[in-house]
Amino acid sequence: MSLGTIGVLVRYWVKGRFTKATLVGLAVGETFSIVFVLFGSSTYLSFSNRVGLTTGLSEVAGSLLLALYLVGLIQSGFNGSGLPVNSSDVDYVFTSPVPPREVFGAKILLNSLTTVLFGFPPILVLYLRFSAYYRTGWPVAILAGMVTLVFLVIGLLLSADITLSLGRGIGQRKKLWRNLFITLVLVISLLPITLLIPEVPGVIAEAARILPNGLAATISVGLVSGTSRTIAYLVDLLLLFGWLVGFLLLGVRLSRGHFYEVLEVSVPGAEKFDEPSQSSRLNPRGRSLWSVVRLKERILISRTREARALFVNAMFLSGFLVIYALSGSFQSSPTSFLFILFIIGSFGSGTASRWIEKERLWILKSSPVSMRRYVKEVYRARLAPLLFYLTPVTVAVGVPLVLSQLGQPSLLLGVVLALPGALEIASITMAGGMYFASKYGQSSADDILSSQAQELADIRRFLFQTVINLIMVSPLILLVLASERLASSLGPGSLPALAASLVIVSIVFAGFAINVLLNKAGDAVSRREDL
Amino acid sequence: MPQISVERLTKHYGTLVALDNVSLDIGSGEIFGLLGPNGAGKSTLLKTLVGILRPTSGTIRIDEIDIVVEPEKAKRMIGYLPENPSLYTGLTTLEFLQFVGKIRGVDDELLDREISESLKSFGLEEKRNSLLGSLSKGMKQKVALIATSLHNPEVLVLDEPLTALDPKTRVSVKDWIGARTKRGVTTILSTHDLDVAQSHAGRIAIIDHGKIVAVGDIESLRKMARAESDARLEDVFLRLTAEKGEDPILK
Repeated sequence: MSLGTIGVLVRYWVKGRFTKATLVGLAVGETFSIVFVLFGSSTYLSFSNRVGLTTGLSEVAGSLLLALYLVGLIQSGFNGSGLPVNSSDVDYVFTSPVPPREVFGAKILLNSLTTVLFGFPPILVLYLRFSAYYRTGWPVAILAGMVTLVFLVIGLLLSADITLSLGRGIGQRKKLWRNLFITLVLVISLLPITLLIPEVPGVIAEAARILPNGLAATISVGLVSGTSRTIAYLVDLLLLFGWLVGFLLLGVRLSRGHFYEVLEVSVPGAEKFDEPSQSSRLNPRGRSLWSVVRLKERILISRTREARALFVNAMFLSGFLVIYALSGSFQSSPTSFLFILFIIGSFGSGTASRWIEKERLWILKSSPVSMRRYVKEVYRARLAPLLFYLTPVTVAVGVPLVLSQLGQPSLLLGVVLALPGALEIASITMAGGMYFASKYGQSSADDILSSQAQELADIRRFLFQTVINLIMVSPLILLVLASERLASSLGPGSLPALAASLVIVSIVFAGFAINVLLNKAGDAVSRREDL
Repeated sequence: MPQISVERLTKHYGTLVALDNVSLDIGSGEIFGLLGPNGAGKSTLLKTLVGILRPTSGTIRIDEIDIVVEPEKAKRMIGYLPENPSLYTGLTTLEFLQFVGKIRGVDDELLDREISESLKSFGLEEKRNSLLGSLSKGMKQKVALIATSLHNPEVLVLDEPLTALDPKTRVSVKDWIGARTKRGVTTILSTHDLDVAQSHAGRIAIIDHGKIVAVGDIESLRKMARAESDARLEDVFLRLTAEKGEDPILK
């Protein structure tokens, strides 16, 4: 294996990967993820304090979280994306006289570098927060962060090894193997839950420490929480490095043969579908034009797995909100139910922000249709599943909140406004997402922007979108904040009428804001000069 | 009276002049070829003609309808095929054509018939329930062509319709263009294929640096280029687009 060739490949890939735009994007992304990590970890710590979670259970939670990362990588490994390659690699690297093993080495090195660079800041902040809580000091947090990074690299190697093994007869039975692997990881990772069952021997839970995620969680959480098990940690650390070396050697061995044909080449904007043939569901007979537009959008959402992603995200969201509710933050700070507004509301912007990439502007712009109306119909089709998933989440969070505030009518009004307000905010941010996608998003056909220019446009779009969405939803937030004072000054007798009128005001405002944003989105599409 | 009339059309992208004072008249039922080197302004001209780009100045009239003033009315008469037509990869062939037909205002009954006949004539019947993402490039091009003409437009604007197609598909696309012309459809055909332009187009415009440098049938183009009476279009094109003082052949 020539280290020189690996060095050349990595150097040029790094040059291509870390452009100025990427670095700016990295800084913005890291800032937001650090804020989120701080918020999430504080919530978790309040929750564990209130519920009386032991460090052992925190280790289990950490292990499960890392297991989900592993499951994702196992899946991408079986999809052939364990060693990510693009068409430039195929055209220029694979046709060059470079031994496949050196390509493997360079890819692993680049992936590890990227993961460490992107992953370390938020991970470090997470452990610093924990170490501050447990008063264990920052060097321990750095150590814990490094252990977690080792685990992340193990995951990359596992994924690469799985992809490389696809060429060895495993490809025909890859669904079976994939399900087997995922089940195994999840079952072993979930074993510690048996600790909650009385009289179940604790040694069963220890089995989870066999896997890299169990080992990494035990060491990292143990270190920051100040659990003194020096010898046990050393053994765990050795086992963790055992996994690392094992997967690395396996990868080196598997990469000896020709493996290029098993790799899935990533094409920007390309979507994967389970079956090449489907039953055609868009029967326009007797339907209006706009109902056909909505139906087309719904078909695309279902076939491109957007609906599934929405469901999974809603599950995570509700899980987080339940933990937040149980952490007692609502009770300790009555106005903190505004938090629901932000978390549920921000859910809207993500789901529609890439809608323009799925559109085909040459068809729309050469057709005699109003772009404003078209965008509104697409929005209607996309809003339905969003509300379908968010309404149960809001109700689940809202019922205990309403019950806990029954004794304080003035606070109850805020809760009553906040719950539909969360859905209104989600609807507004979704319209905002569509507007900014119309203005800055790259369309499907034209490559008028270089990838670097597009990355910069994406960053600008993200920042503008965040600021404008906040401005657009601020009246709803102010309404919730002002409700307590209004209720106190008008007295309990006028509360039902006040609640009804404020809800109507908020709905009317939301409708107005959505209409403005969608009109602007339609105009932005009309003004675009690309296809 | 010309069906398509372009008067003093200019299009700027910032400081770049993509179209410079272009004027053209295209008659009804004519196949009009548009030739020019890469970056000459062919695609910009076509996109402006179909109302995708807004002209910086000048007018475009399709049957006396100004495309800037009444874009929706004008678009009903035009079928446009871009150079790289991208399709909704998550829709089946049938769904895609039904969707396009609907947004172009085709009657349900007519749409069903038009789709069935077009799929049959392009040999795509078996692919009606295939996702567009799973089709080959040639098949996608055929589907895009069908979509372009579902509403029976009076004017077809085709931007490089034969690029990167295999010989069999090229033949079927050329036959398709011929059949449309017989029905009296006006066709503007941008192409790099000079043989196709020479054999199909009645008149040809040569565009270079955003300006129309010559318009006419092959005979008048030969005269303008001061070429031999049997000179091929390729030689005529090279002479007309050569820089001053530059040998057209070396170019």
